[in-house]
Amino acid sequence: MRRALRAADVGTVLLKGGPARLPDDVPPRFKPGDLVVARNINPTGHTRLPRYARGRRGVVDRDHGVFVFADASAMGRGKKPQHLYSVRFGARELWGPQAAARDVVYIDLWDDHLDPG
Amino acid sequence: MSDEHDHAEEGSPLTETELRVRALESLLVEKGLVDPAALDALIDTYETKVGPRNGAHVVARAWVDPAYRARLLEDGSKAIAELGYMGRQGEDMMVLENTPKVHNMVVCTLCSCYPWPVLGLPPVWYKSAPYRSRAVLDPRGVLRELGVEVPEDVEVRVWDSTSEVRYLVLPERPAGTEGWSEAELVGIVTRDSMIGVAKVQAPARGGRR
Amino acid sequence: MNGIHDMGGMHGLGPIEREENEPVFHHAWERRAFALNMAAGFLGEWNIDMSRYAREQMPAAEYLATSYYEHWLWSLERLLVDKGLLTQAEIDARLAELRKRAVK
Repeated sequence: MRRALRAADVGTVLLKGGPARLPDDVPPRFKPGDLVVARNINPTGHTRLPRYARGRRGVVDRDHGVFVFADASAMGRGKKPQHLYSVRFGARELWGPQAAARDVVYIDLWDDHLDPG
Repeated sequence: MSDEHDHAEEGSPLTETELRVRALESLLVEKGLVDPAALDALIDTYETKVGPRNGAHVVARAWVDPAYRARLLEDGSKAIAELGYMGRQGEDMMVLENTPKVHNMVVCTLCSCYPWPVLGLPPVWYKSAPYRSRAVLDPRGVLRELGVEVPEDVEVRVWDSTSEVRYLVLPERPAGTEGWSEAELVGIVTRDSMIGVAKVQAPARGGRR
Repeated sequence: MNGIHDMGGMHGLGPIEREENEPVFHHAWERRAFALNMAAGFLGEWNIDMSRYAREQMPAAEYLATSYYEHWLWSLERLLVDKGLLTQAEIDARLAELRKRAVK
């Protein structure tokens, strides 16, 4: 265990933060423009894949790079470094034909959340 | 919202919540795990030092300096750090540009993720069930309720902050602010406009500071 | 987990209520709850993902009926006990002691 945080260190500690980005050289499974499907997973543990996106089709908009995989990290299973993507989902894909045709939702999802579309 | 659970009037017994906070704090301090002066410093930082004025500075700079704007959109973390804003809950920043054709809006449906270094701690409504549930489902309805009407030909993009990447909206600069200084512009950029639930308004004639 | 916290798309959770110029903290205890979470987290016995998961485990009805910092308080106590920094017995004992003397 680290020692107790001291008042004098608060500023430095906050400025340093707790970056989740990792330097690991892990190949991405997807690239911007790829069609993907969010996996239909229903773990009892922690996941950052919201229910409303599971099984839905999207397009990879951006590869954010390699990050700690939150789903694993929360359960004490280590950092499991992998690529994190910004995935764009059409509003109608998520909510049906009543949704606005033009609107989209971007969700940050990891390699382990996605399958090729 | 009822606050009977969580605070007491002067002279009356402490609430269960207050007692529990005191129990945890006193135990942690006694065991040397937590330093009370550090607690005060943490509180002071987020109550008085870090807040939306930081983000307003970023936005105003982008409005007056096209090269800064380009850097901001290219690498949000780096450009925001140029102004000294960085660290906890803002280590990886993406800046989303609002245009006449695109309106961006940020939410964290799963909890309350929010870009602390540029906006401070999130307001209660951002962390609450109504916004978290409806922002992704009916953004136009939410925006309308909050006073923003988005035309049909504008694309609404809702960003659900499911990772440690944090999002800051770069709102459109309002008409009527031509020739304003950066300092004057900082004064009109609101927190809500940087979350994407409001537009920046130029104050009526005479309101310029 | 498919918990109540995963709210995207839900109906029936009410209108968006905003307070004009709301303060960062509404009560003194909220300040302490916030700072305790941060300082205890800094000890390194859990990471931020673990702290989010802890919050998700609050019983659904309680989660909906309580405020944000009450969620933080609930999960902080759970983390402190799960990771062995405090025991439930000593927390309960301290609470009992404070209740006896509790007058503002």
